[in-house]
Amino acid sequence: MLKNTTQKYGGLAQLFHWVIVILIIYQFYLANKAEDLPVLKKIGVLAQHKSIGMTIFALALLRLAWRLMNPVPAVPAGMPRWQRIGAHFSHGALYALIMVTPLFGWMMSSARNYSVSWFGVFTFPNLVKPDKASYEFFLTTHHWLAYAIFAIAVLHALAALKHHFVDRDNVLRRMLPVKLKPGRP
Amino acid sequence: MSTPTFSTSRSFTVRLIAAASLTCALGLALAATQWLMQPTQSKLSFIGVQAGAEFEGVFKKFTADIKFDPKDLATSRFDVKIDVASVDTQDGERDDTIKSADLFDVKKFPSSRYVADKFTAAGPNKFTATGKLTIRDVTRDVPVEFTFEDKDGGAWLKGTAKIKRVAFGVGQGDWQDTSTVSDDVKIRFALLLKKG
Repeated sequence: MLKNTTQKYGGLAQLFHWVIVILIIYQFYLANKAEDLPVLKKIGVLAQHKSIGMTIFALALLRLAWRLMNPVPAVPAGMPRWQRIGAHFSHGALYALIMVTPLFGWMMSSARNYSVSWFGVFTFPNLVKPDKASYEFFLTTHHWLAYAIFAIAVLHALAALKHHFVDRDNVLRRMLPVKLKPGRP
Repeated sequence: MSTPTFSTSRSFTVRLIAAASLTCALGLALAATQWLMQPTQSKLSFIGVQAGAEFEGVFKKFTADIKFDPKDLATSRFDVKIDVASVDTQDGERDDTIKSADLFDVKKFPSSRYVADKFTAAGPNKFTATGKLTIRDVTRDVPVEFTFEDKDGGAWLKGTAKIKRVAFGVGQGDWQDTSTVSDDVKIRFALLLKKG
């Protein structure tokens, strides 16, 4: 089942979700690893980070398009209003963040006259002119956006676990290749 | 007529001076034109590849002593001296790395030089210079392809060259590895010349 239903996320939505989760976790690992490396090795690790970042960017755009073309599984009945608001806000924020964070990374690299290559296959155009002050701004923002992804993603994951173990509903199951529990929202 | 080889007659002296003057004049006319490079409008850049992406840098300070005449390639000559510390890739950290001991070692080798005195025509306004490039303490033959366009009292000398950096010692220790930073470097220049 590739498309979503009103009960469950389809195969493609699930694929987008989990692939992007894994890539983002790996991005945090690469960024951390690069920090303490000598220049030559650092260039290589950051180049990988950028290639994966641009992959996430592309997937995020495709994913957003797919979401707009699909039904969205309904919120569980009886879910308190504040949780519903929290869910919509955090999902919206995550969609925005997975697009804006790599975009700022791209600008940051451009501002330092390091063109972004996709795994050595092709090179993206520089978005801005090289400028130290711009670079510092994009660097700081890119870091804060990454921290925001981390914070919201952790909250998002904890909320999913709460739904699964405390509310015992289908919210987590909907995003997994498993059968839904019958008779539950 | 049995006259001695050297005559001291006045007419001979006059003819001798005239012949000498004419030869000198021809000699001067035959020497290639001396040009003066206009530094603010001239550019010397290089393009390297790092982690799959090209990056461009320039040398902001260099002199180019250009003697060139498309009709007199035999006496044409290029002598370019580059102030390596003037490198600018629009990133301070990368510039510092380029100047460091493992790459250009600016402290030991503050300048690079290109001297060419052999030129061949390669098409309308197109030429090839055969010369020697010295970077650090290594000198190697490097051909340069260029065009020369003379107009309104000024001339544009534009060209390219390709080098392999490791052969010049630009890459010591870990930097000999060319998988992250390419061995191939393209050089581009555009010099505005005015008659000297």
